[in-house]
Amino acid sequence: MTALAQQRSLSEQFPRLTADGGRPNVRELERLRARARRFAEAHVRPRALEIDRRTGEDPSWFDWDLVRAGAEQGMLSFLIPKPAGGAGGLSTQAAVVMEELCVACPGIALIFGAHALGISPLLLGGPSHWDGVLAELIASESSREPQLMACAITEPEAGTDVEDPDLLARARISSHARRVPGGFRLSGTKRFISNGSVARWITILMPTDPRRPAETWTCFLVDAHSEGFAVSRAEHKMGQRACPAAELTFDSVFVPDERVVGREGDGAPATMIVLACSRPPVGAIATGIARGAYERVLAWLEEDRAARGLLERQHVQLALAGMEEEIHLARQLYMDAATELDHAALGGVMSHPAVRALGHVPASIRGRAPVRGWLSSERARDATIALLHRTTSERAMTRSLALSSMAKARGGDVAMRVTGAALELAGLRAGAVRAELEKLWRDAKLCQIYEGTNQLNRIEVYRGLCRRETIACLPPLRPIRLDTDASAHTNGDAPAHLDTGALRHASVDGNGGRS
Amino acid sequence: MTGATVAERAEIRAMARELARRELTPRAASLDAGDQDARAACWRLLVELGLDRALLDEQHGGAGLDVSDLLASIEELAVGDGGIAACVLLSNVALATLASEQLTDITPGARWVLISAGSSEMTVSDGKIDGRIACALGAHEADGLVLSLTSPKPVAVAVSAGASGLTLQRDAAQMGLRAAPAASIEMAGVKGSVIASNGAAAHALLRAGVAAIARGIARQAYEMAFEYAQARRQGGVAIIEHDAVNDMLAAMAVRLACRPVLAAEDSGRKLDGTRALAVKIAATDAAVATTTDAVQVFGGTGYMVETGVEKLMRDAKYCQLFPEPNWVAQDQLMRAERADRTA
Repeated sequence: MTALAQQRSLSEQFPRLTADGGRPNVRELERLRARARRFAEAHVRPRALEIDRRTGEDPSWFDWDLVRAGAEQGMLSFLIPKPAGGAGGLSTQAAVVMEELCVACPGIALIFGAHALGISPLLLGGPSHWDGVLAELIASESSREPQLMACAITEPEAGTDVEDPDLLARARISSHARRVPGGFRLSGTKRFISNGSVARWITILMPTDPRRPAETWTCFLVDAHSEGFAVSRAEHKMGQRACPAAELTFDSVFVPDERVVGREGDGAPATMIVLACSRPPVGAIATGIARGAYERVLAWLEEDRAARGLLERQHVQLALAGMEEEIHLARQLYMDAATELDHAALGGVMSHPAVRALGHVPASIRGRAPVRGWLSSERARDATIALLHRTTSERAMTRSLALSSMAKARGGDVAMRVTGAALELAGLRAGAVRAELEKLWRDAKLCQIYEGTNQLNRIEVYRGLCRRETIACLPPLRPIRLDTDASAHTNGDAPAHLDTGALRHASVDGNGGRS
Repeated sequence: MTGATVAERAEIRAMARELARRELTPRAASLDAGDQDARAACWRLLVELGLDRALLDEQHGGAGLDVSDLLASIEELAVGDGGIAACVLLSNVALATLASEQLTDITPGARWVLISAGSSEMTVSDGKIDGRIACALGAHEADGLVLSLTSPKPVAVAVSAGASGLTLQRDAAQMGLRAAPAASIEMAGVKGSVIASNGAAAHALLRAGVAAIARGIARQAYEMAFEYAQARRQGGVAIIEHDAVNDMLAAMAVRLACRPVLAAEDSGRKLDGTRALAVKIAATDAAVATTTDAVQVFGGTGYMVETGVEKLMRDAKYCQLFPEPNWVAQDQLMRAERADRTA
């Protein structure tokens, strides 16, 4: 760890974490970070180079033992809501875990990061998934066969285009989810999908009308065992190889209605929320990569005979100070973005009394057919969206997205600069450490590309912060009545007695009562 | 001294360009993957053209090129593959360091490399060499090494690959310029032929050559990025229409337009060592920036090995680190500048 971070606790570094009675959460966060660090030191770093070598020769090779070891440390469930048996984390937890794992190996960290990304649309899908796939993931975590998730957005002809609602409207989308009795049939190709070839469950975005992709972009939960699903290619990547990137082919894959995540047509704003949630962890991935390079080159300078005398050079001292500085700034950025999202933008949903109340209902009751039927009903989905509008606003989400994008873009640049500088300090003749530094440098480049290129991310900073625009990043409200005590309804009927006028007011006042 | 005419010199460059286009570019992925057959096939072609010993005179089987022609040819070859261009550079520097009588013992087509070493790595005493070099570019499967030491006093020693006490081990982790396969070198009482050389010309040529390789790599990256940016559409238009992409391409074009002049003395056979250092630093930093942006223009596609553009980024990074990291080169440059002014 960099010296500054080592000397201060999380609550000292980031006081916002303790706001609103959050001190117990900080203690949980410290424990999660310690677990991630133990896992990284014991299992990840010792295997990083070997896995990089093997996956360089065969991109489809995958280390399930490592996933099992991570599962034992809770690396597959930190994002799963507590009512479903997980740790109930959001962006902050994901980010803290990512930094720790990436110090050891960004490719291995990405396995767990891509899994969390696959889960995140389900959080927006509401409680209907708690007792379905999320419970199954929890059960698998303690078994010898942990299940992984992936999220599939990118298409061969649409990369940047699918990460911005305006661009999506003009995108060349080749996939199509056709409405059929009881559900949808998915066809098309998705590209560069992290975990795509090893995931059991995939959240996937497709339009129900390819001529109107932005309006009909919809999220589905796909079982990788479904007929018509195939992994058509394992990509050979420059870095972050431990986590496979795959091309996935969908040939009329059937997805039942209950596995539509959220509502049909809500995919574009939902994608923006997912990106707002996932970009701080990408900033953390980049910070971890930079920290990994910094720590390795510092140890080499301090301990290796070949580096004798170099620490006395001012050039080296200034370079190291610059690295510490950049890493510190990158961490501040991603933590600021993550806590903004968790406290001001999304956190209100998970801590809302209605959600908490539902969480206290035993899973055995939630799992009964009438309750399950209501939870996955269109009205319950409307209620989830209404709750989102009540606890946040499009402006607050846009600002949060902009901060997340800033953390991601800056972090990616820091990772490239620090790994490049560390490699230059060491040079070709540094011995064993060179291979690790070279790997981190190769790994770092992806941080400027995935989760939207840095250029796209900066356009979102411009829109959200420089111009104070409001991007459509909440699914639209529909006239419904939300039951604030949903657990009381077990007959599948629509819950009653919510004032929709208040909801509308919350959604159009520009600040959602938060900002 | 070369007697090549202007037309002949242009022909040599064209030949190197054509060789890169026809033979190296199509094999670049195989060369990067460590395909020995591909490397051997490329080397045979280069030997046929005399580019492995281009600086030597005809008596020694060379083409009698001057330094600027060799550098231009190396740049063209690097457009096809930086590693192969590095083999040509290392061979020419090594053979140009050898004495006339030593050259006659070298089998035509043999691949020699020049390795520079610090006093903490290798020592030469009574013609015997001891020490270890962690990573020597191009040394794996080379037929001979010319070891160039600058301290405590400048000396060069020629060692054939089969010399007793010499152990070479492939550097499996090598990230860039992989067609010039690196190895660690162990020498325990190895006998070599001492050459009367102060190493200055060899080191200047080495650095100028690395700058040429970096320029070739950057040119290829620019061409690939430009072509892709015209073909790829996002946001309803070709991505070259987006300022975000256009700006990166413009920066690449500007870096390529700033071509430094390598002042050569004696009709181009000798280089100014200090200037070679500066040019090497500038060209390799520019190549790293250009290739990194080229990958960015390609987006996710650029991060995939099969596209061939991420290889350019790795190759460029190695140019920045070889024969020494740029911060060390910068240090040497300032020492040389200060020494010049003191003198």
